[in-house]
Amino acid sequence: MLNDVAFGQYYPTQSFMHRLDPRIKILALISIIVLLFCASNFYSLALCAIVVIAAIASSRVPFKSVLRSVKAVMFILIFTAVLNLFFHKGSMLLVEWWIIKIYLEGVIFSAFFVLRLFFIVMASAILTLTTTPVSLTDGIESLLKPLTFIKFPVHELALIMSIALRFIPTLIDETNRIIAAQKARGADFESGNIFKRIKAIVPILIPLLISAFRRADELGDAMDARCYSGSKTRTKYKKLKFGVRDLVALIVIAALIAGVVLFNIYGEQICPEIYQYLRIR
Amino acid sequence: MSEEFIIECENVKFSYPESPTFAVNNVSFAVKKGEFLSIIGHNGSGKSTLSRLFNGLLEPDDGKIKVLGMDLAEGRNALEVRKHVGIVFQNPDNQMVASIVEDDVAFGPENVGIEREEIGRRIDWALKAVGMEKYRNSTPTRLSGGQKQRIAVAGVLAVKPDVLILDESTAMLDPKGRTEVIEVVRRLNKEEGITVILITHFMEEALLADRTVVMNKGEIVLTGTPAEIFENGGLLETFNLSLPRISVISNALRDGGMSINNVLYPDELAQEILKNLSNRGICGGQSSPYAPFKLNSPHEWDIDIKDLTYTYSKKSPFATKALNGVNLHIDDGAFFGVIGHTGSGKSTLIQHLNALIKLPTAEKKYRKKKVKKGQPEPVISRISVGQFELSNKKCDFKALRASVGMVFQYPEYQLFAETVFKDVAFGLKNFNKNLSDDEIAQAVEDSIKIVGLDYYEIKDKSPFDLSGGQKRRVAIAGVLVTKPHILILDEPAAGLDPKGKNEIMELLHKIHREWCKTVIIVSHDMDEIADNCTQAAVISEGKVFACDAPAKIFSRADELKALGLDIPLTAKVSAKLAESGVIIDSDCTVEDFSRKVLEVFNGNGGEANA
Repeated sequence: MLNDVAFGQYYPTQSFMHRLDPRIKILALISIIVLLFCASNFYSLALCAIVVIAAIASSRVPFKSVLRSVKAVMFILIFTAVLNLFFHKGSMLLVEWWIIKIYLEGVIFSAFFVLRLFFIVMASAILTLTTTPVSLTDGIESLLKPLTFIKFPVHELALIMSIALRFIPTLIDETNRIIAAQKARGADFESGNIFKRIKAIVPILIPLLISAFRRADELGDAMDARCYSGSKTRTKYKKLKFGVRDLVALIVIAALIAGVVLFNIYGEQICPEIYQYLRIR
Repeated sequence: MSEEFIIECENVKFSYPESPTFAVNNVSFAVKKGEFLSIIGHNGSGKSTLSRLFNGLLEPDDGKIKVLGMDLAEGRNALEVRKHVGIVFQNPDNQMVASIVEDDVAFGPENVGIEREEIGRRIDWALKAVGMEKYRNSTPTRLSGGQKQRIAVAGVLAVKPDVLILDESTAMLDPKGRTEVIEVVRRLNKEEGITVILITHFMEEALLADRTVVMNKGEIVLTGTPAEIFENGGLLETFNLSLPRISVISNALRDGGMSINNVLYPDELAQEILKNLSNRGICGGQSSPYAPFKLNSPHEWDIDIKDLTYTYSKKSPFATKALNGVNLHIDDGAFFGVIGHTGSGKSTLIQHLNALIKLPTAEKKYRKKKVKKGQPEPVISRISVGQFELSNKKCDFKALRASVGMVFQYPEYQLFAETVFKDVAFGLKNFNKNLSDDEIAQAVEDSIKIVGLDYYEIKDKSPFDLSGGQKRRVAIAGVLVTKPHILILDEPAAGLDPKGKNEIMELLHKIHREWCKTVIIVSHDMDEIADNCTQAAVISEGKVFACDAPAKIFSRADELKALGLDIPLTAKVSAKLAESGVIIDSDCTVEDFSRKVLEVFNGNGGEANA
């Protein structure tokens, strides 16, 4: 039942994007999302799109796999696009039928909105496709480091995250095993109304919970036995290294920010006649 | 403190909260520096508790424990002591904190506050010591049990302990994994001088130690070299332990008039037997041939598997072929063994038998694909169980599951209801919704009784309050309650102590006689298969390597070894004897083997008859 849930979406291969420092990737993703929201015309949007597509190309992940993650949000994408199409008011009326009025501004706005969301999803997909959950955690921990000064338990949080990541595949296996065992005893998880189905989950949930507690207990013992005693005297083996390719990525991001700002301000002067079709309001 | 001892304890007592008895009672003994010590004892004998006391995970109620001269009764030393005494636990999955091997190995040294470069060196060293340096950047979840446990050993080693405790660390592994771990530990003991304390249920492992300690009900009852300990056969049994097979055979031969010295290894036993024979002037000879157990065919409930192929995570980058063209026939009425190491596909195979994994042709979505010209017709997997045709969409899968009971590995982990009664009745109610309360009560009572439990005492208890062995029996009763015709059990004796193992196997024979006509067990314990099964199949890399009577299979020792499988002790000794011209044609059980050796010894074997 749970076999289809491929954990994380990490696509194992070697590429420029895969080797990038996770911190850079996280920061880049945040900047691209912010920039896509700040973009006020199609020039800026196109610039962001080029960077996202370049990132996909340099990740060696098949384009299909990237698109698959867009599929998941397809419905929201179409739904909001249609809403925008119908409710965005403007001055250039295109279609009027019954109570529906579609303006040119609405069309432009929907297109812009869809593309913006589309590239945000693509950019996020690239992060999760090229970064293992482990290095993602490392990246987050490293980025949150400054918070230790206000006594925020960064190390503990990172340890919790990494243990959770570590146990997800184990617990999925366990769940599959319990499901199979209860199925062998005639349990039926696939038919009946919602209440029946919820009730059917009890024979899975209870053994799973008990097992999770048992594992937690044993893990606690094992950690104790391996001298775990909090973060005070702890050292860290893995250090994220900032390399040349990270510098390249940083420059690209800086250039992108500059580009978007410039296009936002001076976009109108490039081709003033058609600018009204290229900007959004 | 004397230089010689690394751990010393004096009159140590410990009891768990809410327990009236002492888990460790008045234990005094010392562990020598650099020795290889094994501790054996039944489940609940206190041996694991003792190991936790040794590194300060538990504090004794009374008595003194000194590790490297540090007194553990004062809690503040616990942390320091843990740097010197490392423990590897039973379940390899539950002692890993990180998703990448090197991060996990680094965890201990990080905790102790070692510098980065030194941690790197220690990871190199520790992974090399356990022979896992190739897997430095792998994910533990994709490794085998033995490999995972070696990583766990490396994780403990990286702290550079003086003492390494293995707390039943081999209990959940298959024979291959077990050998891997034990070899690593032996090497560490010999080459690195690390003191090893091996806590185990496997008598064969206990034999490898320099010294063995036997525990019973929290007390140390015997100490000595393994040879000395296993001489006291009768005594061991009173401590709820079983003798190693080799001692059982030696005793049987001695009773038959041979003079056999105490030996620990199969080759030595073969030598002893040959010595006895040559003393009588017998060189060469043959026992009477054994008659393989035959069933009349055809039968109503035969299982037939044709061209079974199965791939996990199809279409993903992790696709693995679990089964690759399995053809197998299991006779109605057999006590059938399925042998293979972890990952051989045996679990996948048995899950097909009650359609927990459905054949592709039985899926609702299945449509026959058109075959392009010039391409061969695709091979279609077929399974039939009695009159059930599992490749057919219209097969009544619910009725099939009621007739083919399946007990998974560690079935006690699937208990969930608030009372034993409700848990056992769960399956029955699922399969047959029209039963009256009386009928249900009767069926539950019957099935609880057949697994050897007291119905009235146990029915209203919570299954979680039972002992480990009782839980397993309740879980088996929960499958038996529908009176399945075929019962399949995946590693039914896993994790039990020797006595518990024997009891479970006896129970299965009782069920085979009185309840289910066909019993199929999956096991990697060759002795278990040899002792119990009428027929067996060896699965290797998704294929059936052999399907025959166990004795026939085990006569192909070299091929089995090449597959990474072990053979039973009796087969090992037989092979050794055959080299000297003494042919023992037994069914590989301990009793039959001893009888046939005595036959040759007394000169009335097959040769004498001929």
